[in-house]
Amino acid sequence: MVVVMKERASDAEVQAVIAHLVERGMDVHRSSGAARIVLGVVGSGTVDRALVSLMEGVHEVLRITEPYKLASRTFKAEDTVIAIGDIRIGGDEVIVMAGPCSAETEEQVHATAAAVKRAGAKVLRGGAFKPRSSPYSFQGHGEAGLKMLRDGADAHDLKLITEVMDSSQIEVCAKYADIFQVGARNMQNFTLLRELGRARTPVMLKRGIAATIEEWLLSAEYVLSGGNSNVMLCERGIRTFETSTRNTLDVSAIPIVKELSHLPVFVDPSHGTGRRDKVAPMARAAVAAGADGLLIEVHNDPDHAWSDGAQSMFPAQFERLMAELRIIAPAIGRSICLEPLARRGWAR
Amino acid sequence: MAAELSVEALRAEIDQIDEVIVRLLDSRARCAYAIGRVKRREGKPVYEPAREASVLAHVRDVNQTLGGPLDGEAIVRLFERVIDEARRIQRLEAARSDEVGAGNVAATTGQGE
Repeated sequence: MVVVMKERASDAEVQAVIAHLVERGMDVHRSSGAARIVLGVVGSGTVDRALVSLMEGVHEVLRITEPYKLASRTFKAEDTVIAIGDIRIGGDEVIVMAGPCSAETEEQVHATAAAVKRAGAKVLRGGAFKPRSSPYSFQGHGEAGLKMLRDGADAHDLKLITEVMDSSQIEVCAKYADIFQVGARNMQNFTLLRELGRARTPVMLKRGIAATIEEWLLSAEYVLSGGNSNVMLCERGIRTFETSTRNTLDVSAIPIVKELSHLPVFVDPSHGTGRRDKVAPMARAAVAAGADGLLIEVHNDPDHAWSDGAQSMFPAQFERLMAELRIIAPAIGRSICLEPLARRGWAR
Repeated sequence: MAAELSVEALRAEIDQIDEVIVRLLDSRARCAYAIGRVKRREGKPVYEPAREASVLAHVRDVNQTLGGPLDGEAIVRLFERVIDEARRIQRLEAARSDEVGAGNVAATTGQGE
């Protein structure tokens, strides 16, 4: 349930309500909005809602009917905006994260980072621990790969997102990454999600290939309830009977999740289609449908990529796509990558 | 379409279109600004009459395929203003770099407009 305090509720009144709830075995998540304080209440204890609504300073008590609480719009009406350095995820600007599937060599990481930066990406993506379908495929360079990615990101003024596959990798990844990615295969790895809830690094949670939107939001709830409020979601295609694409990208998930939840929603058209020539149309559709960002695989030499070459874009294709997106975004009142020109202090 | 929509609805559509036009003009101005930086670095002049002519020819061609109420001269008049502003941005950018001390600036600033 959600306890909405009155606009002028005093600290003592807020504290009395929190104490009342905690005594009854509930966890309280306090969020201070512009006008009023809202308390998100979760847990297995028993609380008399009528009693709470009569306490001093309480404006109203709402029941959250969805199984997920902290992730729901009822709990938090305004969009969550995650600030990482000078970028804001979930705001007016559509944030594009791009880069190779995996870090292969220093040259490859640097060349790709330079290319995606030039085109307007704000975040470098790349894996050092790779969850491959086959145990015989390239598994990633581990910490050496993380270092390559960090160096590449820093050299080109990009943030870094990388996949954490297992709780044991959180510590090492935290040394290098700005955002943790939880892959589709790990969406319901609840041990990992709980651990990430204790981390302070923002988390991007990919949708499982057979997960409903409700299950996906419940997974986000695991991270949120652990105390990490910087969670973003990423639609990356679900498994259907269709075989002409690797997965079926569920574009309709974007407006649905935006309605149900306050969390930023990304789309990964690379895994969503698995085919390089289908990435651009799906990226355009995602932006038009209201996605807060994109996660796109770009490789400086896709034909020789060690993994996911068939779905990785050439740098020139990615540049063209970004130019198209800069025209589409204004139609729905948003922008993409306007900052490189403003950074030099250009005002009037 | 126009005959069935109310004036209020059409005005709302115009407001929405204007917002997109302003955002796109902003994008265009930023591109012009980035080109200005390259011109300064390479010591190229801000005013390039051949390029301006090709921009006007391009928009005239695109407009012709639409067959709308704006004729070729009208679209050219509108874009002449857009180009004026782009040139102004590039001239200011070239002048600003004086502070940074770029060596080739003096050679380029005089040639705008």
